[in-house]
Amino acid sequence: MARPALRKSTRPEGAAATPRLAHLDLDRSLVDAARADPARFDALYRKYVAQVYNFAVYELGDHHEAEDATERTFLSALAALPRFEERARVEDGRDASTFRVWLFRIARNVVAERRRRWRRRPEAPLDLALATPDPLDVERAVVEREAATTAWRAVDRLTGDRRRAVILRFVHEMSTAEIAAVLERSEGAVRVLIHRGLRSVAKELRGRGEGRA
Amino acid sequence: MTFRPSARDGEIEAFVVDRYLESLLAREPRDTADIPVDLRQSADALAAGLPRYHPSFRFVEALSARLAAAAVRPAGAAPRDPMPAAIVELPRPGRPGDAPGGLGQVRPVVIGGVLTSAAISLAGAAYVAWRLNRPASDPMIRAVRAVARARLI
Repeated sequence: MARPALRKSTRPEGAAATPRLAHLDLDRSLVDAARADPARFDALYRKYVAQVYNFAVYELGDHHEAEDATERTFLSALAALPRFEERARVEDGRDASTFRVWLFRIARNVVAERRRRWRRRPEAPLDLALATPDPLDVERAVVEREAATTAWRAVDRLTGDRRRAVILRFVHEMSTAEIAAVLERSEGAVRVLIHRGLRSVAKELRGRGEGRA
Repeated sequence: MTFRPSARDGEIEAFVVDRYLESLLAREPRDTADIPVDLRQSADALAAGLPRYHPSFRFVEALSARLAAAAVRPAGAAPRDPMPAAIVELPRPGRPGDAPGGLGQVRPVVIGGVLTSAAISLAGAAYVAWRLNRPASDPMIRAVRAVARARLI
């Protein structure tokens, strides 16, 4: 895991000039390089393409639509990079990246735009879950695919930001602060969204368990 | 004073669950005594069960190439910057009986340097006409002109 970037900074005029350490955005060097030479945006693209694509797959439930949304997201990000503002805070954690949050906000808008024009197909997520490649261990693969299908089903029934918050938490492993920034909500609201999402998932899983018994 | 235990309890539980998720996703699950069993099981199922999808290699490379092309393009330029084809309306020969302003009277708009070249062309045409109609002094020139006229007719 990459170490957090740190720099020395001094307090404002009048305060004791004691150096202190301030966190910098994890992607600062890559962002600076891409700003100086847009051809170097490729490093940021390769770092985040899978995450953005993954987010789009969960939101749209279709690989082709997800590819299209991913493409639009990165083209928009490249065009808007000169306007990107780094807003890293110490409380966001060691691995926080305001660039990632900014990128996911763009992805969220792109996805929302596509969803407005194109209705989600409810059967698609299940198809995707079943399309996971088979490893050599067939028995384990069956169990994993069943678990994936169950999880997919449970999450897919969640609505709007509740689903997004759960996906960002469990698939992208974002912190509550990062999810709050992506969804433009307070951290408390995100905690409640995830909590309620888990309650719904628990209900769904319980229902499936009773259905089998 | 109104006391709403359910909402407050929900917020506290949400906070406790959040702390548990933090440790779960850091692969260091902490004490789960405060977490309701069904919520813990749901969290474990999602953490283990939700698949991660990776885009195809072909797509990643194709988009990388598109981004590289977009990066070298000047800001504000269209993705493919085709030169718009100019539509020039050619003058049509006027026919006797055409109404003024009708199809036979369409005039091209002449701008800038085109006017100069058109003027030179007119002068050239007048010069050639004068040369052809000038009486020739040399018998050889007269013979050549006679042959040329015969071919034209």
